[in-house]
Amino acid sequence: MADLNSRLARREFLKLAGAVGATAGMSAFLAACSTTGATAAPPTAAPSLAAGATPGASAAPTPGPKGTFNWLTWGDHWYQAEMDQIAATYGIKANITSFSDDIDAYTKVQQVGGQVDLVSEDALWVPYFYQHQLIDAFDINSLKVASQLYSVAREFSIWTSPAGYLGYPNGWAPIQITYDPAHVTAGADSWQLLLDPKYKKRVVVEDQPVEVMAYMGKAAGVKDPYNMTDAEVAQAKALLVQLKPNILRLAPQATDTVAALKNGEAWIATINLGADTAVMDQGGPQLTTFTPKEGSIGWMDAEMLVHGGANNNLLMPFLEVHEQAEYVAANFMINRRPLFSEAAYKLLINQGQQELADHLLFNKPETVNSMTLKGPGTSTQAAIAAFNDVFGS
Amino acid sequence: MTVESPVGAPAAPTAGSSSGLLQRFGRALPALPGLAVLVFLFLVPMAIMFVFSFWKTNNDFVAVPDWNLGNYARFFVEGTYLRTFIKTLIMAALVTVTTLAIGLPFAYFLVRYTGKLTQRVILLAVIVPFWTSYLVRVYAWQAILGEHGALNQILQAVGLIKVPLDIFNYDDPGVFVVLTYIYFPFALLALYAALEKFDFTQLNAAQDLGARPDQAFRHILLPQIRAGIITACIFVFIPILGEFLTPTLVGGAQSSLIANLVLNFLRNDQFAEGAALAIIIAAFVTVIMIVFRKSFRVEDVVTSG
Repeated sequence: MADLNSRLARREFLKLAGAVGATAGMSAFLAACSTTGATAAPPTAAPSLAAGATPGASAAPTPGPKGTFNWLTWGDHWYQAEMDQIAATYGIKANITSFSDDIDAYTKVQQVGGQVDLVSEDALWVPYFYQHQLIDAFDINSLKVASQLYSVAREFSIWTSPAGYLGYPNGWAPIQITYDPAHVTAGADSWQLLLDPKYKKRVVVEDQPVEVMAYMGKAAGVKDPYNMTDAEVAQAKALLVQLKPNILRLAPQATDTVAALKNGEAWIATINLGADTAVMDQGGPQLTTFTPKEGSIGWMDAEMLVHGGANNNLLMPFLEVHEQAEYVAANFMINRRPLFSEAAYKLLINQGQQELADHLLFNKPETVNSMTLKGPGTSTQAAIAAFNDVFGS
Repeated sequence: MTVESPVGAPAAPTAGSSSGLLQRFGRALPALPGLAVLVFLFLVPMAIMFVFSFWKTNNDFVAVPDWNLGNYARFFVEGTYLRTFIKTLIMAALVTVTTLAIGLPFAYFLVRYTGKLTQRVILLAVIVPFWTSYLVRVYAWQAILGEHGALNQILQAVGLIKVPLDIFNYDDPGVFVVLTYIYFPFALLALYAALEKFDFTQLNAAQDLGARPDQAFRHILLPQIRAGIITACIFVFIPILGEFLTPTLVGGAQSSLIANLVLNFLRNDQFAEGAALAIIIAAFVTVIMIVFRKSFRVEDVVTSG
């Protein structure tokens, strides 16, 4: 693991990002010089890139639509250098609005509709958006860049409708448990670890009532923890009562969890896949991470085309560029969670990052099929009521 | 057309005349923006919340007009809400009393024993934290109160403790300390404004007439700064009833206040259920204001604050 950490050095990432930036910058310059000689291309056309190339390096930007679209997304779906390069090279810019939870984005899109053009959502929220006519299906194979995806990512049944695919697959991760083996007995493989009275005020979980209740449901053996019966809610709540004394804090953000693990205040935490490497990168203790044997919940997210989006002519050209392996690989190095681009995985191997990529399951996208996926459920209110009952006075 | 009144002021125009209406409208014009803010950003949202509070949220996260009292009943039937609300009241009361206990002697000292320049400098120092975001200030306390935070390190360094204290580490005492820190300036400024107008020679006069210092304080000073004290109480006590950020950031699993429970509903689009809890808190605040109203006038708050 020490070796792994040494590979994750910030300097190396900067070198990688710098190389991408320099090459793309040069290509932008060359493109600007050759604008008058560019040939017309359909709006969805984008540079076709072989894995390992830099976006824009193998083909000059085409005179496709230029402009600005509105994107409702999480902060880990993009990074500034990438957006700057796309704006400079292709003339496509994004007004980006961040949101916290899936339901937050759902509420906003429901309220403003086509004022948003592109929206990111998780797993079962994607068909939920479609059922409510908030997004449009599209032919994913019309995007050349889609050929860079793992085939499994182009065939998720939950994201397939007769009219086409419901979203462009982005990233995924299960909720896992991580612990500091210096303080915690090794060999844990179950949610029960969180409940052990030995770890009073040493556990951090994220302040997400519905998710916490969902994985307490998994711990209790509930099959569908977002659609629990009253009896199942009661089972999950009973485990939450056991968990409460062990909780140091309900962390508002993943960074708070990382901080608590790093400074040693917390010994155990529920995390998204990859957060443990962030702790170690920041000089925290070496952690052991596992997916509980009872199963876990997880997320996989997609970019969706909002129905009636005023700038939807920009979206396909944008996705063609944004989803190129080079950007996806660089995004992975920043955010440390697997994405669905097989070409990006191969690129990471070429860049000497296979150990990290494999550690974070980048090569195992089929793992999502074993997770209980996040989504809107019928037991949301009951879950919140139970959560409040436990964490109120 | 206007008619001179007996005392020389222009008489009110005849009711119903067009010029009268125009004049009234003209007089009301400057008040319209404020009125619009009050109506559209306060009364209308409150009315919507009130209506929502009797509805239900369906499985599509939509509040639907399925009229019921269940959302209100939840507060009284499920003990956690009442207990947490009482805990919130206790926390708010403790912080209010503490800020007054610290703020009154400090404001007294400032007004009575320091010059205007010193007062300005110190008041500026009190206000300076407001230049930084609330969020940043509360986050900073994590570095002070944490297990390996500054407080424990200092106490260990001076030999007062051997192992880190955990009473301030994501627990109620930590929330109390941070709330006191956050709201102390509001109390101090209200008290300072009241004391600044007080004529301190009255205390000397009272003592010359045989009053002990504590009697002079209770019977001469306190009644005259009562409006300032009540203002301080309102500025501290009522906002704490809606506090959720400080318990979230420096509180632990045991430290939820009532607003945290309300928020859990609202951020998951359970608006009807959250609205009912919020209305109950708002109703309680209204009752408090009515009680206060009997002992002071709104103008007192304005003039003291």
